[in-house]
Amino acid sequence: MKTTGTRSFILYILCAGFAAGLCVFLYGLFVNGGNWAVQPFNKHISGGSSVSAEGRVLDRSGVVLAESENGKRVYSNDETVRRAMLHAVGDTQGYISTGVQYNFRAELSGYNFVTGLASPTGQSSGNDLRLTLDSGLCSLARQQLGSRNGAAALYNYKTGEMLCMVSTPDYDPANPPKDLTTDQTGKYDGVFVNKVLSSSLTPGSIFKLVTSAAAIEQIKDLDSRTWNCNGSVTINGNKITDMRAYGKLDFKNALAKSSNVAFSQIAIELGADTMTAMANEMGFNRTFALEGIPSAKSVYNVNGAQPQELGWSGVGQFTDLANPYHMMILMGAIANGGTYVQPYLVQNVSNSFGFRTVTGSAKTGGQLLSPETAAKLTTYMRYDVTSDYGDGLFPGMKVSAKTGTGEIGSGKKPNCWMVGFSSDEKTPFAFAVLVENQNSSIASAGKLASALMRAAAKIS
Amino acid sequence: MNTFLTALTSAESILLFAARVAVALISGVVVFRCFSSLRVGRRREDPVVVLEDMVTHEVIPVLYWENSIGRSRSCDIVLNDETASRAHAVLFRRESGWLVTDTDSKAGTFINGKKVRQNAPILPGDTVAMGSTALMLKRTADVSGLKPSKRPRRPAASPVSLMLAVTAAQLLLGAQACFAGDKPALMPLVPLGILLLLGWGLYFFSRKILGRVSFELETIAFLNSGIGILLISGTNVKETWVQLAALAAGMALFCAMIWFLGDLDRAMRWRVAIGVLAILLFAANLLLGREYNGAKNWIELGPVTIQPSELIKIAFIFVGASTLDRLQTARNLTGFIAFSAVCMGALFLMKDFGTACIFFVTFLIIAFMRSGSFRTIALICSVAGLGAFLILKFRPYVAQRFAVWGHVWEHASDSGYQQTRVLSYSASGGLFGVGLGRGSLKSVFAAQSDLVFGMLCEELGLIVALIAVLSVAGLLLYARSDATRSRSTLYSISSCAAAGMLLFQACLNIFGATDVLPLTGVTLPFISMGGSSMVSVWGLLAFIKAGDERTYAVRRRRKP
Repeated sequence: MKTTGTRSFILYILCAGFAAGLCVFLYGLFVNGGNWAVQPFNKHISGGSSVSAEGRVLDRSGVVLAESENGKRVYSNDETVRRAMLHAVGDTQGYISTGVQYNFRAELSGYNFVTGLASPTGQSSGNDLRLTLDSGLCSLARQQLGSRNGAAALYNYKTGEMLCMVSTPDYDPANPPKDLTTDQTGKYDGVFVNKVLSSSLTPGSIFKLVTSAAAIEQIKDLDSRTWNCNGSVTINGNKITDMRAYGKLDFKNALAKSSNVAFSQIAIELGADTMTAMANEMGFNRTFALEGIPSAKSVYNVNGAQPQELGWSGVGQFTDLANPYHMMILMGAIANGGTYVQPYLVQNVSNSFGFRTVTGSAKTGGQLLSPETAAKLTTYMRYDVTSDYGDGLFPGMKVSAKTGTGEIGSGKKPNCWMVGFSSDEKTPFAFAVLVENQNSSIASAGKLASALMRAAAKIS
Repeated sequence: MNTFLTALTSAESILLFAARVAVALISGVVVFRCFSSLRVGRRREDPVVVLEDMVTHEVIPVLYWENSIGRSRSCDIVLNDETASRAHAVLFRRESGWLVTDTDSKAGTFINGKKVRQNAPILPGDTVAMGSTALMLKRTADVSGLKPSKRPRRPAASPVSLMLAVTAAQLLLGAQACFAGDKPALMPLVPLGILLLLGWGLYFFSRKILGRVSFELETIAFLNSGIGILLISGTNVKETWVQLAALAAGMALFCAMIWFLGDLDRAMRWRVAIGVLAILLFAANLLLGREYNGAKNWIELGPVTIQPSELIKIAFIFVGASTLDRLQTARNLTGFIAFSAVCMGALFLMKDFGTACIFFVTFLIIAFMRSGSFRTIALICSVAGLGAFLILKFRPYVAQRFAVWGHVWEHASDSGYQQTRVLSYSASGGLFGVGLGRGSLKSVFAAQSDLVFGMLCEELGLIVALIAVLSVAGLLLYARSDATRSRSTLYSISSCAAAGMLLFQACLNIFGATDVLPLTGVTLPFISMGGSSMVSVWGLLAFIKAGDERTYAVRRRRKP
């Protein structure tokens, strides 16, 4: 009998297996329960669409961007606002996977571990999501972009609040085209992509900021050096050209004139390893996140590059790619003395009783460059604005910036960029704007950035 | 008018929610009280009789109903005697008194100088001689210095109060079932009434007519069965009729089996016959069976469709268990292994792999409890592993189930359809559910059987679902802790095996549905819809009940 009792310990193995399995299930339920519950097929939420019983999405000042009415999801009644906020808010069907309606569907549905999707009172109890975005600022960006493709991102680099995030092409979420998903001609290519987060494009001269940072750190007599810019330089039998011959330029003016001749030679002088190290330090070749949504990587890769290719890479061509969200963060880092504040998009989540469950706040991100380099870069970028772009673009603000025209070939006009930030206490904004297929970066991106910064200065 | 209606709907929702919270609380308390009462009500391991060495006058307490005697350290009564066999004899207690059986010892066993073989009665004052050791059986009271330790009398929960609590929970569930549809209905009160009638019928039969002391196991089973049936009544009242009939049949089988197991000699005599009957039933299943959802495990008997494998589960445990004297004489497992191989072979032919797994795990439990040999178990497991490999190779649809395992979200609209629905709707229910009959999982295929755990989570909430499965785990722990107190190893082995079978089946069901394990399609004990399953589960419960020595301590409390 005693042995039988002892041998019955084998049942503990079974019991341990049961406990382990139960823990796996309960852990999954606790961690992923929200995602499990808010599946599009879940009939407790649906009525056909995936978000119809969910709470509202508001902008920073309480403007309703999306809400549920009689089992249907409705958006702002202003088409410009709808289009401007499309990629940030997301669509009803869930095609835009970077939108908050997709990524915060558990919060919006009012899911919680205790009551699940059930409502003890029988009333629908979705949570409201208040964003940090300013719908007016986004609409302005959307208006400025017009029919052009592009992206605009602007954030407060002190607090981390995203104020503007707009991407074109887009469509109207209130009246989605019937052939949106069936079209074969490609007329809706890219409408589901939030270019700010999910695209990387040829940067052109904005990449010279990376080359500059490397030069600041590596070339001791940088400010006393000069470069002869005669319109072109031949490296390894290949010609690297400028818009025109600038003559003899010191470093400050080489950046302001954005001389390819000077910067390609600097990149070659620094070498592939130094350039790669600096680019990596400044956030190339890695992902950043906004509310857990990962961004596309900016790319700098000169493995096995020929000298002339290394030269082109130093001026933002070759295989270089830049992600607008990363560029905005990089501007924030330079403005903040090298370390960026992590941007956030959701100000708070509040339930139907007004009780806030999640509140966004400023969190320090990583260091992208040293304080000394950031300070010097700020000075040079400030000189770009005062000497070349014109301080009148940003009245009443002390803006440092850099433009870029990324040549993409194949018969298309370049990507026109402007990245920068204001150093004023009252307007701590960093931005990255991109307008595709344009001739002049100042006339396109510069104009957009100017409009955005002026409008942002009026937001408290 | 509109606001009034809204307020009314709100009030209804709040009341139903409160009812769900109450059901969760009551169920939790009942299950907890039942198990603690089972613990408290147990006998302390005090010896009733002792053996006194005639030479050294050493007193050896006799602690169990069946005691192995021999030279081996693992014996209950160890003889320090080179001339005694390692497992010499068994001293055991039956209704008639204490008996001795010689278990093929070399030197033989003698009572009062007379050589004995099987079931030789021994009375206090008699001397049993084994090898060169002679021991006298004495009553504990006659030996000085061995006082029965006083056990603190803690009040155990009274069976009637536990049953009343279960009734309250079931009334609350029944009331919810009435409000499940768009309009309140009275129809769900019929299954509720029949359910309560069955539960209280069993209570009065067991307590008042048979005079049994304990009713905890039946209370837990009744609570769970009731949750299962009322869950179904929230969706479709008509589907409860079969389930209620099965519950009645299950309770009848429960009572019959306890009666049958009461006489150990009878039980041991019938083992072979039952084994043969089980194999014949399998053969009938294979010949006459109907294929349903890929498994050929149904037989139609006129209007009734039964799943023979469910009933064979009971036979399987019965054939596997044995009394201690038989365990000591017939040590090898060959017969049982052969029987198990035939059973599992039949299940493979029926393509019922889930049930085959359940049989296999039960087989391991019985085989280990009988032999204690890790080597045998390891050998069997490697053979089984090879078998599993061959199945995966030659039965691709089984492998397909493994393929989707852990990747159900990528196959949410095809092979992972059921699991993703279970996960999504389980999470939707939260701790207290969305309401009886108000779930959405019920429209998914096999929701009330294979996926019933998800339905429980969704409609009644995680807490009730956890209580239902934890109570099965509780049965296992109880069966294990009571193993040495049983009246025979036959009871302790069958009780542990039955509890292990129930828990493993519960594991396959809930973990299969929630993608922790591959989905195999077995029922959740007590809860799932399925008549044969309900009958079989109550039959298995009879083994656990029989393992409790108090089950047969008839009318102990009736005498003043």
